[in-house]
Amino acid sequence: MESHRRTANDVSAANRTLAGLADPVSHLNGHRPAAMDAEGFHAATQRILSSVNTVIDGKSDAAKLALTVLLAQGHLLLEDVPGVGKTLLAKTLARTIDCTVNRIQFTPDLLPSDVTGVSIYNQSSRLFEFRPGAVFANIVIGDEINRASAKTQSALLECMEEHQVTVDGTSYRLDEPFMVVATQNPIEMEGTYPLPEAQRDRFMARISMGYPDKDAEIEMLETHQATSPLTKVSAVVTSAEVAAMITTVQQVYVSKAVKEYTVSLGRATRESPLLRLGASPRSLLQLLRAAKATAALDARDFVLPDDVVHVAEAVLAHRIILDRKAAGSGETPHSVLRGILSHLPVTSETAGTGTRNAAPAGRTAAPVTGLSRNK
Amino acid sequence: MTAAPTRSPRASRQSGTRQEKTAARQRVGPYPWVMAAAIAVAVSGAALSLNGVLRGWGWYWPVLTTVLVVSLTLAALRSVRAQPLLVTAGGFISLGAVLTLTFFRGSSVAGFIPTGGTLVELDRLIRRASETVLSETAPVAPNVGIVMVICAVLGLAVILVDALALPLGMPAASGVGLLAILVVPAMIKPQSVGFWGFAFTVAGYLAILACSQYFAPSARFQTDSARSPGQMKRAVLTGSVALAATLVVPMAIPGFDQGTFPQGSRLNPWGTSTGLNPMITLGNSLRTPDGSGRITYATNASTPLYLRSVTVDHFDGDSWGPDDRDASRLPLGGRIDPGYTVLADEQQRLVTAIDAGSFTSPYLPAPYAPESVRGLSGRWTWDPATLSIKGSDTTTSRRQEYLVTSTAPRLTAGLLAQSSAAVQGIPEDFTRIPGNVPDIVRSTADTVAGTGTPYAKAMAIQKYLRSAEFTYSLQSPVQGGYDGNGLSVLADFLEQKSGYCIHYASAMAVMARLEGIPSRIAVGYAPGRLTGATVSVAGQGALPEYEVDARDAHAWPELYFQGLGWVPFEPTPSRGVVPDYATESSTAAAPDVLDNNEDLLPDATPAPTPAPSATALPAPGGGGNAGSGVQLLPWLLGAAGVLGTALLVAAPRLIRTGIRARRLRPQDTGNAVPLGWRELLDLGTDYGLPPGSSETPRAYSARLRGALLGDPDGLDRAAHQAVAALTAGFERHSYGRPAGAVPEAAVDGGQPGSARGTDGTGGAVAAQVAAVESSLQANAGLARRLQAAWIPPSVMGRLGRLLAAPFLAAGRFLRRTAKAAARSRPGPSRQGVRDGVRRQSGG
Repeated sequence: MESHRRTANDVSAANRTLAGLADPVSHLNGHRPAAMDAEGFHAATQRILSSVNTVIDGKSDAAKLALTVLLAQGHLLLEDVPGVGKTLLAKTLARTIDCTVNRIQFTPDLLPSDVTGVSIYNQSSRLFEFRPGAVFANIVIGDEINRASAKTQSALLECMEEHQVTVDGTSYRLDEPFMVVATQNPIEMEGTYPLPEAQRDRFMARISMGYPDKDAEIEMLETHQATSPLTKVSAVVTSAEVAAMITTVQQVYVSKAVKEYTVSLGRATRESPLLRLGASPRSLLQLLRAAKATAALDARDFVLPDDVVHVAEAVLAHRIILDRKAAGSGETPHSVLRGILSHLPVTSETAGTGTRNAAPAGRTAAPVTGLSRNK
Repeated sequence: MTAAPTRSPRASRQSGTRQEKTAARQRVGPYPWVMAAAIAVAVSGAALSLNGVLRGWGWYWPVLTTVLVVSLTLAALRSVRAQPLLVTAGGFISLGAVLTLTFFRGSSVAGFIPTGGTLVELDRLIRRASETVLSETAPVAPNVGIVMVICAVLGLAVILVDALALPLGMPAASGVGLLAILVVPAMIKPQSVGFWGFAFTVAGYLAILACSQYFAPSARFQTDSARSPGQMKRAVLTGSVALAATLVVPMAIPGFDQGTFPQGSRLNPWGTSTGLNPMITLGNSLRTPDGSGRITYATNASTPLYLRSVTVDHFDGDSWGPDDRDASRLPLGGRIDPGYTVLADEQQRLVTAIDAGSFTSPYLPAPYAPESVRGLSGRWTWDPATLSIKGSDTTTSRRQEYLVTSTAPRLTAGLLAQSSAAVQGIPEDFTRIPGNVPDIVRSTADTVAGTGTPYAKAMAIQKYLRSAEFTYSLQSPVQGGYDGNGLSVLADFLEQKSGYCIHYASAMAVMARLEGIPSRIAVGYAPGRLTGATVSVAGQGALPEYEVDARDAHAWPELYFQGLGWVPFEPTPSRGVVPDYATESSTAAAPDVLDNNEDLLPDATPAPTPAPSATALPAPGGGGNAGSGVQLLPWLLGAAGVLGTALLVAAPRLIRTGIRARRLRPQDTGNAVPLGWRELLDLGTDYGLPPGSSETPRAYSARLRGALLGDPDGLDRAAHQAVAALTAGFERHSYGRPAGAVPEAAVDGGQPGSARGTDGTGGAVAAQVAAVESSLQANAGLARRLQAAWIPPSVMGRLGRLLAAPFLAAGRFLRRTAKAAARSRPGPSRQGVRDGVRRQSGG
């Protein structure tokens, strides 16, 4: 067992374990949390972001995107070379929120039951008792997820999708909010099990941290000299507040024009000759959810196409697969997405959207019939 | 199997026909009959367009009979499987038979077998047809000769089309035969072919194509789908679209109504004005864009001088022409005697030196009434009845320079009014009332002329014709199909009340005769323009020189008054000059009429001689007005031109201003935000920053603020705020929660309301737009500012898109059609295999 729990949370985790046992598969809170008002929402996000930014210098975009994913109820995949602060970002975000955080260091010998939990025989009660795994927390940090075997990865991914754990035929509901922040190291891939495409699809967004700029790096050398800044971070919002913020995000209005824009973006990726695999419907759903969270973070109660554009690369880039020729000619998923976005017409007027979208739809129909004819 | 695709089409067709032949032994089917019907429809449809080349519809039945008989004969012969050569020969025989039956029944055996007498008849008819072609203008009267020729030609066309479509297997080329028919009306008729003729021809042609494709598909395109309903539907659709397009498109584009072939002009490759019948060439001469046949003359006349070359006095028949009276003509030698005595107190003697230049006509232009002509070369004769001078044999007026002495009585209204004595000593030619005067002419004459002296009647007729009811037009007779002469034309003219000199002159002449006044139509030239040069004539000193050309060609009536001789009148509005004696009651109407016509009066109108009679009216009536019109017109035209140019230059700006005013109208609060946003986009476009189609409002506004506006914290702060406000308002409008929908819970409750409250009003939007514009102006260079103000790219781009739209649509349509065509044709490999299979089964 390579799971490291924060001792401070052990007690509360144990408490909740009992609750989970008593009432498996029931809704955690019993009622839907009320939405937060605009000022409260804004203040809360500002608190979270500023506190994250004190720890990680010059990466406010990544921090904001991570928060976006949290509010959009997605999972985050941090992928970058070692030592740029992936784990630090995940831990900081987790620590700013007053909730349970578990960290799992993935290794090749990690077993699925280590993640999900296992039933053990309680000799005193002479009953099998479920002992929850590391996944029972609000925020689960999966470090170096590609080092674990495919079997273990799958166990985690089921939890991510279903928000529940099934052991010995009994399902146990996970806490809300629930977010997995996984990190992956693209270098030194020997002996690892990189996430296959289907499993990458479960993550709402993938972020590359990137190196900090010069000033930020100097600042980092300055502040991180003696002590880890992480120790100074304390929780700034409660988990109930986070739940309310999530509700707020869910209530952000999405106009028809934006939905059409999203769909046409998805269709464009599927029709692009540069791509072997385009965006799935699930990815479009997650794209829109992320866009809603972005809009809410921007203090708006409706989504703009700009929000979709803003998160499109982070949400879609790890799901699409380049055509071999395009990859050979130096294209990357990001460059292809940028090209598609720069040519995708924005439908701004709600009245004219129907007619304006008719033409592309007709055009897309033609190749499909052509294909069927050739068969 | 594998050899099949390499086989040449010719070989396949040969084997195909052989195989067809064996098949045809059993069954011919409806093919020949359907094809014959299609050809008959096409040819008789094309013949429809000849209406207008020939007058009326009487000629159509013989044409239809001929076409039907020939095509039915061809179909019948083909249905009994005759040899192709035999079929064509049978077509010729049937054509000869039906023509004989129609036109030479008297001189034939059994009604349809031609004999030697038929050939003589044929010669006579052909000569008649050629006369018609040479001497008449369209529409010609459908006499036997011309109808016979047309029937023969159309019958030949049927045989030609049939031969091309069937034995030669080139159905597409059969259109050549139809085109040959259509060329005639297209060149002769001003309305060109006309709708029905064209529509029926094309329908017939398409039917020919469809038939040949349906019954005998070409080996190359032999496919399963040739007879499939989809193919038929596509073919019918394509055909009708093409037909509709050819009918609609010409309406939108200008026709050949100017330039080398002005409307109504005859194709005349042998030069203009043969002069054989001046009546026919008159209209063409008037319509020539450039003045050809220039004649100059110098005269001592104090009044405008008409040059007369010939008169027309026979008003019978379909087409009028000068009566030469060759028998009674006298050789031009000594004095020319008018043949009547003039009782007027004062006679004017005029000397006119004329240089005919390149004007070529057997008739010599001369002022009336000539007494002697000197300086002519060649042999000339004069007619005692009309005093027209004509060259005998090949003598023409070309390059003649001659001096004419003429006399004219100084006529006054008083003199004419007194001339009420019975007419005597005039040839009956000038008083004979034509036999078939249309009712309208007769009734008009009766109503208009009234009772009174001949002069009063003549004046009444002239006044009627010069009234505002009538308009001078060279084009409307052409468009109305009565360009020409004759009594039927006259009736049309009196109904339409629009025509040119020949119509006015003939109307007055015929009506005068109906009222008992002897009359004739003089053809010649209206008074010309001063050239500024002078010509010295022996005994007269230097005389001012005038010039006339083909555009001054004119016709006017001459009426006979006992004791005064032939007196010219001027019923044509705006042409010529009304003589003193004829101005009494026309002055009131003259200015009205003059205004709407080009002014052809000589600039230096000689001062009118004081009229000794009681008519104290100033004359000529139009002179004064026309003078001021001449001075005013260039100014008016210039002003109009300057105004038009200014309007054209300012049009983009005006359009732009209009668009903005409409968008920023204060009362339109509901749509103020999107309209304001659109105005912002256009403003940006005007200043060189057009929005991209993939650009979100936010991205565009950021770009606009970055590129065109200045420092956000300095002077342009208001503009930046305005752009931000407009963007936010527009985003809320486009993507925000609709106004009616109530959010499930109070999400961002305070914000939307407040935003709407401030930005939703039209006034606020207008102020924001104004702030942006002033800032844009302040930050742009001079060139950019001028461009934005005078040729705003937003308007020009819209204009360009508007102009390009039809072409883009046509391109899309073509692409779609091409795609459909490509889809309907199966792959070549499949076809080859199919071909091979068929050959095996056939062999």
